[in-house]
Amino acid sequence: MEPELPEIPEITDEFERELKQAMVRRPAPPNLKRRILQRRENQRTAVSHQRTIWWQRAAASILLAGAIAGGLKWRQTEEQRKGEEAKQQVLTALRITNRALNDMNRRLTAHNRTDQ
Amino acid sequence: MAQRWHPDFEQLVDEHQSMVFSLAWRMTGDRGLAEEIAQDVFLELDRHMSRIESHEHAMFWLRRVTINRSADALRRRKVRGVDLWVEIEENHGATSEERSSPLSTRLEQLLSTLPEAQRSALVLRYQEDLTPEEIAATVEAPVATVKSNLQRGLKLLRAKATTQLKEYIRGA
Repeated sequence: MEPELPEIPEITDEFERELKQAMVRRPAPPNLKRRILQRRENQRTAVSHQRTIWWQRAAASILLAGAIAGGLKWRQTEEQRKGEEAKQQVLTALRITNRALNDMNRRLTAHNRTDQ
Repeated sequence: MAQRWHPDFEQLVDEHQSMVFSLAWRMTGDRGLAEEIAQDVFLELDRHMSRIESHEHAMFWLRRVTINRSADALRRRKVRGVDLWVEIEENHGATSEERSSPLSTRLEQLLSTLPEAQRSALVLRYQEDLTPEEIAATVEAPVATVKSNLQRGLKLLRAKATTQLKEYIRGA
């Protein structure tokens, strides 16, 4: 059976009517909504996953920054402690030297008195 | 103070999927591409839901974004003309319930050969029943330009229909 041939509408209002009829909305594919919702779910999962990764990276960065800052602070404190220790050692050495010199001075004074 | 509109995304998809899909199909002439565009448009709507203020705003937004996305897709693929339509129809044929009369199909084919601006104006006019002012707002163009596109598009489509549909009958 031959397919039914379309009639040519008059090229006036009839044409526009035919055009309007030809342009009715087509039904969407039955699985379009399912695909949209599926992609939406996938995107949300991906975004959630990305957020988790972002937070993990942020936490790791904060930890690393804390460790570096702590290390620097510890080094500074250690240097201060060592400097203080060295200073105390020098002061101790100066006190010992001072005592030795005083002692020497006393002996020399006593020796001079004996000689006189 | 007006109450804030709280749309349900699934309901919006249900109500407007046919409109979005039809617009994309008629703009691109490619059923598969139209499905992709429709999915992208609704996903974009989901991201912009907080900015949608009413049902009318949602429809306006969907039409505008669908037309823009279809135009972008066409520019990317540089798709034109009847040949592609025929190829697509063969490869991604419509389901039985989507098939329309032979004349409607031929008119749609001819529509796909029109320049993009004329095609979008005609699709919005005859599929969506929009006024030239509403079309102008949708495609962000002056009303005079839209009216001109409508007139020229219709004239060109009439001319093509006169030639090609007559040939169709003569060839039978």
